[in-house]
Amino acid sequence: MSDTVTAAAPGPGEARPTLSRRRVLQFGLAAVPAVCGAALLSGALATSHDVVRAAGSVRAAEPEPAGGTYDPSAHHWAFVMDTTTCIGCGRCVEACKLENHVPPDPQLNRTWVELHVQAEDWTVSVSSPQGGGHGVPAEETMPAAATAVRNAYFVPRLCMQCENPPCTWVCPVSATYRTEDGIVLVDEKRCIGCGYCLIACPYGARYMVPAGDTTPKGVPGIADKCTFCYHRITRGLLPACAEVCPVNARIFGDLNDATSPVSVAVRDKRVRAMKPALGTRPRVFYTGLEGEVD
Amino acid sequence: MSVHVAGRDLTADPRVVAGALRRRVGAMPRPLRAWYGILVLLCLVGAVGAALSLPPGWEVLGTSPPFEWGILIAAYVFFAITTSGLCLASSLGTVFGIEMFIPLEKRHAILALLCLMTAFGIIALDLQFPVRMVFGAVLSPSPRSPMWWMGVFYGAYLVFLIIEVLSMFTGRWRLHRIACVLSSITAIVAPTTLGAVFGVLSSRPYWHGAFTPPAMVSAALLSGTALLGLVFYVVHRFRLAGFERAGALAIPAIRLLLTIILAVTVLVVGWQTAWGLYGDVPGLSTATAAILVGPLALPFWVLRVLLGLVVPIILLVLPRTRTPAGLAAAACLAFIGLFADRAIFVFAGQVVPDSAVAGVLPSPFAAYVPSLVEISIVVGAFAALALAYTLAERHLPMGEHSGHVVGAFLGSANPAGAADAAAASAVRAAPPTLTAPPMYDGGGVL
Repeated sequence: MSDTVTAAAPGPGEARPTLSRRRVLQFGLAAVPAVCGAALLSGALATSHDVVRAAGSVRAAEPEPAGGTYDPSAHHWAFVMDTTTCIGCGRCVEACKLENHVPPDPQLNRTWVELHVQAEDWTVSVSSPQGGGHGVPAEETMPAAATAVRNAYFVPRLCMQCENPPCTWVCPVSATYRTEDGIVLVDEKRCIGCGYCLIACPYGARYMVPAGDTTPKGVPGIADKCTFCYHRITRGLLPACAEVCPVNARIFGDLNDATSPVSVAVRDKRVRAMKPALGTRPRVFYTGLEGEVD
Repeated sequence: MSVHVAGRDLTADPRVVAGALRRRVGAMPRPLRAWYGILVLLCLVGAVGAALSLPPGWEVLGTSPPFEWGILIAAYVFFAITTSGLCLASSLGTVFGIEMFIPLEKRHAILALLCLMTAFGIIALDLQFPVRMVFGAVLSPSPRSPMWWMGVFYGAYLVFLIIEVLSMFTGRWRLHRIACVLSSITAIVAPTTLGAVFGVLSSRPYWHGAFTPPAMVSAALLSGTALLGLVFYVVHRFRLAGFERAGALAIPAIRLLLTIILAVTVLVVGWQTAWGLYGDVPGLSTATAAILVGPLALPFWVLRVLLGLVVPIILLVLPRTRTPAGLAAAACLAFIGLFADRAIFVFAGQVVPDSAVAGVLPSPFAAYVPSLVEISIVVGAFAALALAYTLAERHLPMGEHSGHVVGAFLGSANPAGAADAAAASAVRAAPPTLTAPPMYDGGGVL
């Protein structure tokens, strides 16, 4: 169908009454390979940089770890967020911004920290001043002066790296995709900046990169999101946010490794994912999460 | 320097062209000159807005992470469904052979083509990388994405419309007949794919559901019919080509169709509202509250319900206002109401995010105010459409022809009887014999 559209596009200019059918067909036959050739060239340029797609799977061509070749099929990355230990210091937000060149605008974040306060009357207020990047001021912990607090805790947020990600389903040009090791990435050379993935994400994990000096991939106008610091984890390092967390509230690891901290946490603690009813099957799990967070 | 086109030598000397243009403009009636002047001015305003929106990442739009789709998407949806609605309305004549609707054919095709190009222009300005869209849709297609299917069907619709228009003006009736049928089929499918763009999103309860695609088709039929009502009033009022049959057939036909589709729209809006109020579905009930009593209440009650539905229905039904001017007023209000409706639809899905977005927590509603750039693009789009259509109306042969009746594909009592069809064609194509009253009432209430 798309070929039909491409081939027929030159038609209106050519199909004037003075032109013969033969001329129109000749033009069309010449135009189709020309357009496809240009498009192929464009596609080749788009894929040659740092992302390789083959046989329906995607492999990151990042620099390999010192110990040998990175095999994405051997890993299954996941996070467990321990809301019982998070102190809301915001170092993870700062580290993420620095590591990934996230724009300084406090409204644009790959990861952020929310403060959930449950009052005596069971009402819940949620706040995230500046994405929690500078901690949470004391006055934020009280929803109202006259209300007693029943419960309060911090919820670190980021892309859930869903096994069934709505963002990849809706992208019209396959610019966002899921790697074999379970990370959802955005190809900055394919993204058209339509914002459909932002709209489709149930977890609000994406934003559009504005023009400016600080852009994650040097390309403004595309969708951006947390990648679990893919450039780090494929080298055997921790994501920046987990690296700097002073209380180990962000537990990261490989679910394929039964001895990894994340596997132990998933096995030993009662963990749950956000919005399970949507069937997205997140790879970020939470401990100590109240039901109202959904 | 000159070029030879269609047997005529046309000069390309700028001074000669400017002189000729000046003479043409000088010879125009003053109101027409003012109309052109206003439209050109608004187009220039739109062009400035468009230029500012081109560089990727320039924050000239009023959108934000929690409210990513603004008035440009609403305008795109509006023009995209209008182009479909034009074809759906006129298919009653071009495909089903109902004589009342046959005078719509030429004008609907031109309008549909221009509306579709306007829609494409707006979406190109909203996309950060529109060229990648063209290549990406072909080279890395995503059949799981409703947006991809929307591109496929609207792309096909563009091709069919171009063939329909070209064959109409070059007298290739067999090709024209096929193009009419194909464009009419595509005109139904395309808005359903557009509805699916919103309807598949389970994280947006207001949009989510199988109800959204057919609701988009009913909205398409309303906007297309309303635009035809406006245009055919102008044809009737200014006695443009084919005004006799416009007054005798097209205007009553449009009045009938507009009344029916307005009644259908009342049901659609009513059930959408009831659906949102029933129970307490997270996201859906809050979005409905935002429409009924929240930040979207004013456009909903004033533009959508009162001016967009109630007043037009009254104008169409009351005997005193069952005039061409009454139809024009009803069509104009329904058209404006439909634009408000699509904007409310797009905004309501985002006004109550059920999650923080990139660290921003909208409370209680996500805020969005269209920027001047967005408004100028939308205004410029309407002006460009009006300017292009005015030029087409003045410079293309808009009178009816015999081919459209041959194109009445499904309506013939005896489709296999070519002789009958030819005879019917000859009768219908004959110059109008207006011994009958100039306004065809058709009997009945409508």
